[in-house]
Amino acid sequence: MTTRDLVLVALFAAIMVVLGLLPPITLGFIPVPITAQSLGPMLAGCILGARRGMLSMLLFLLLVAIGLPVLSGGRGGFAVLAGPTGGYIVGWAFGALVCGLIAQRLVREGQNEVAQIAAFVAAAFVGGVAVVYLFGLAWLSYATGGAFLPALVASATFLPGDLIKVGIAALAGRAVLAGYPLLPQRA
Amino acid sequence: MEIVFTAATVRYAGRVALHPLDLTLGERRIGVVGLNGSGKTTMARLINGLVKPTGGAVTVAGLDTVRDEAAARGRTGFIFQNPQHQMILPVLAEDIAFGLKNRGLGKAEIAERTEAILARFNIAHLARRRVHELSGGETQLGAIASVLVTGPDLLILDEPTNQLDIKNRALIERTIAGLPEQALVITHDLALLEGFERVLVFHEGRLAADDRPAAAIRAYREIAAC
Amino acid sequence: MLNGLDIEGNSPLHRMPARGKLVLLFTAAIGLFLLSDLRILAPVLALCAALYLSTGIGLAEAFRRTRFVLFTVVLVAAANYFLHSPHEALAVFCRLCALVLLAAAVTATTGISAFMDEIARLIAPLERFGFVRAADVSLAVGLVIRFVPEILARYGEIVAAHRARGLPVRPLTTLVPLIILTLKDADTIAMAIDARGFRRQ
Repeated sequence: MTTRDLVLVALFAAIMVVLGLLPPITLGFIPVPITAQSLGPMLAGCILGARRGMLSMLLFLLLVAIGLPVLSGGRGGFAVLAGPTGGYIVGWAFGALVCGLIAQRLVREGQNEVAQIAAFVAAAFVGGVAVVYLFGLAWLSYATGGAFLPALVASATFLPGDLIKVGIAALAGRAVLAGYPLLPQRA
Repeated sequence: MEIVFTAATVRYAGRVALHPLDLTLGERRIGVVGLNGSGKTTMARLINGLVKPTGGAVTVAGLDTVRDEAAARGRTGFIFQNPQHQMILPVLAEDIAFGLKNRGLGKAEIAERTEAILARFNIAHLARRRVHELSGGETQLGAIASVLVTGPDLLILDEPTNQLDIKNRALIERTIAGLPEQALVITHDLALLEGFERVLVFHEGRLAADDRPAAAIRAYREIAAC
Repeated sequence: MLNGLDIEGNSPLHRMPARGKLVLLFTAAIGLFLLSDLRILAPVLALCAALYLSTGIGLAEAFRRTRFVLFTVVLVAAANYFLHSPHEALAVFCRLCALVLLAAAVTATTGISAFMDEIARLIAPLERFGFVRAADVSLAVGLVIRFVPEILARYGEIVAAHRARGLPVRPLTTLVPLIILTLKDADTIAMAIDARGFRRQ
């Protein structure tokens, strides 16, 4: 791994920590405020690509595990990972990976803006929402002894907020691609 | 320590950053000036191997910077313009120690050498401070300490005072003046070159002047005016 | 600026090596979910609570750290109460609380450097396959801690610039420049690292 990649991964993990220190984003029409930090995995995949995006989320996970209070609200340590929402945090790494894979495949620098945004939306949704939920619900099911379907239904309340996140991440991904492209382009 | 450039050239896609350069450097204090994009930074980075010559060769104490990359790099230390980019660990003493850890030294020796270098630059009181709390000058001193702790013979400084205020500028000037190590300083701050033995002037990828400070600076001013 | 969540102390858990605590946690994560007898689960929960408090953390801080997670556990247990049975709900509650409290105890009694040393040991066999290097991991962790304050300060400057121009502070207009400016630094920082010969390949 090149030193530059290592630094990019570390800097993005640091950005993730800073996102956790920012106030939640409240928009009148959604029930739950969005934490800036939950945008992280989508941004990581869309901006750094699959490999580096995943590594930055794994690095962040490591910081949580070793007891740094880097999760929104100053939380950290094994307790959060052991709790019902632990799966989502682990899911961030795989979400970034899938988001990055899709973004790398669909986004091209020469494309028109709308096509790029659409590609990022697809990447952010599949990676940042679907995959993350998969991991989140998997651990939740294990932890609660199998109530998968009700958990899935309950998660629906978060969906409007998640869709807004997808929108923000896609637009941000596109803007960063225009300003400082880092996304590897692979057919 | 001698640095020898033999027809060293650096070419990027469609652009020549440095035209073939033949040069031997061995003085204790060497200054390098030139406009931005003149090739001075490229030439400095050839010395510590951050840039590889696309033609010709560069040797440091007889070691080729391409064939004996690690050994050659070990003989030089490099200080960058922005102090913030050089301190990579949160606490000053940790950053200094990290360079030594990678060389397989024992804990006791690492601690000893860290203390020694901090004392040498009178920043022992900053050892346990967080890097982001330090002033620009203190950070730059910290960077110099981190680089010199591994014992290079030559210190290359690339515009070290660019981002510092006047007080910190003076601090770095004094520090450079007092270094027993060989120093090569790229700078826009011409006052820094007082007492230097040799000053190189680069222009459009070529060595335009090579003389004692006063004459070289005169030549530089003439070049810069046009 | 970022301090670990470990606290000073000399309890048995403090003195236990990091590896032992990780094994304990892992075993609990599996073992607890194989049990459903409340006559075992309840005492185990009490034991975990006792272990957590034995670290010397104090009731207030102990609660402050875990209240959010425990709240989600209560929610989940409540869901189980309505969907399955009171017995199930209690079992879920006991299992999850026990695990969470044990996890919090491990975090409170293990320092960051102890973790990093253990990680270096765990990674050592993987180094042979060329997947990852322990030195790179500790460098990466150091870099994060080093640059968080700078990035946060940069965010503050971006917000100040917005206000000065009378612009509303929105996620898109603040996060995009934050990310670009931060990632642009990667090149120079990487050069500084390479110039010091840190990552001898």
